[in-house]
Amino acid sequence: MSITKQTIAIIGAGGSMGSAIAKSLADGNYRLLLFDTDLEKLGSLSEIIQRNHSAADLEPMSCSHESCWEADIIIFAVPHSAEKALAKQIRDVATQKVVISIANPVDVDFENLTTRPDTSAAEELQEWLPHSKVIKAFNTTFAADFEQPVIDGKQTDSFIAGNDKAALRMVSELVETAGFNPVIAGDLTVSRTLERMQLMLMQLTIKNDYEWHAGWKILHN
Amino acid sequence: MYEQLKRSLQQHITLTDEEWDLCKHNFRPKRMLKRQFLLQEGDVCRELVFVEKGALYSYTLDLSGNKHVIRFAFDGWWMANLHSFFTGEPTRLNIEVLEDSELLMLDKKNHQILLEKIPAYERYHRIILQNAYVALQRRVENALGLTAEEKYERLIQESPAFLNRVPQNLIASYIGVSPETLSRVRGNYNR
Repeated sequence: MSITKQTIAIIGAGGSMGSAIAKSLADGNYRLLLFDTDLEKLGSLSEIIQRNHSAADLEPMSCSHESCWEADIIIFAVPHSAEKALAKQIRDVATQKVVISIANPVDVDFENLTTRPDTSAAEELQEWLPHSKVIKAFNTTFAADFEQPVIDGKQTDSFIAGNDKAALRMVSELVETAGFNPVIAGDLTVSRTLERMQLMLMQLTIKNDYEWHAGWKILHN
Repeated sequence: MYEQLKRSLQQHITLTDEEWDLCKHNFRPKRMLKRQFLLQEGDVCRELVFVEKGALYSYTLDLSGNKHVIRFAFDGWWMANLHSFFTGEPTRLNIEVLEDSELLMLDKKNHQILLEKIPAYERYHRIILQNAYVALQRRVENALGLTAEEKYERLIQESPAFLNRVPQNLIASYIGVSPETLSRVRGNYNR
């Protein structure tokens, strides 16, 4: 873990995943730049974090471009359908930066993925940000898992996929700070599997009523 | 966002459009605010930093917590701890932002890509290192052989930008005298 503080921009911080991630990183050695178009949600999130994590270094931001320019790591906490437009907006300041794709491109009925079978949300994002280091992470964990990453006595695994070794290392540290056990699953194409896995977990959650608090764990010797 | 970098490269070498594109896309643009740290003692320096706009300074801290300023970097200058960057050993330096800055960061892997793919970049880098070595040598000579008055006079002649943009306590630390001595020296100089 580096001594020098890293800056993380969370775009869409007011949403359930965005705020869960922000809260879980508030005690880490990070400066958090929080952006959301919903100012009310952004305000109440900042208040909650400041109340519960007095040492947190965070700033509510009024511009996504500015947030990403200041950041070392950018987290796209927006639906996949909004990612292309956002990527276009911030592309010039995301060059060589780690961009985390947390999206699961599921349709409204939780029946299918909206992406073609030969690609994934993360790979599409990489196409839209060709000079950034896109890493898949936090897509196999529900928002509620961030508050209680230990489920049934076991620490939830959180899978990571990407092509750049240094970026994978940075994101592993981030995942660990958030309370999960990081598992590097492979290169960015593995995102196809990770996104499908989560579609299945969503379907099972609905069917078996896991109350959106469930996760993955590899059992091994 | 890349004007100063382009100017700095063009000052020493000529790049084709493709080479400039490759160059540009290997730098990470980063905006930083005054008083933020780019590097802290104990970390490994993994990036060379080019200042597009703004100001940085590097320093060591002694056991009593006093700052010893090593150097400054303004628009169009490079900054790094080369010892840590090349050896991979933890740095003893801190690099702090002196004015809100727009920076371009080049990590070791991308630096290597540019050295391998663009022969002119290798030449540019050699010239930059050469200039840095000469500047360092002059700095050591000045530190060892000049009086406080002479050091201040040379600073004004060689780097007038310092005077407007750097607080007096950091100038004093840079030339290795107490703020009180600097104040006396300035008084004498202006008289």
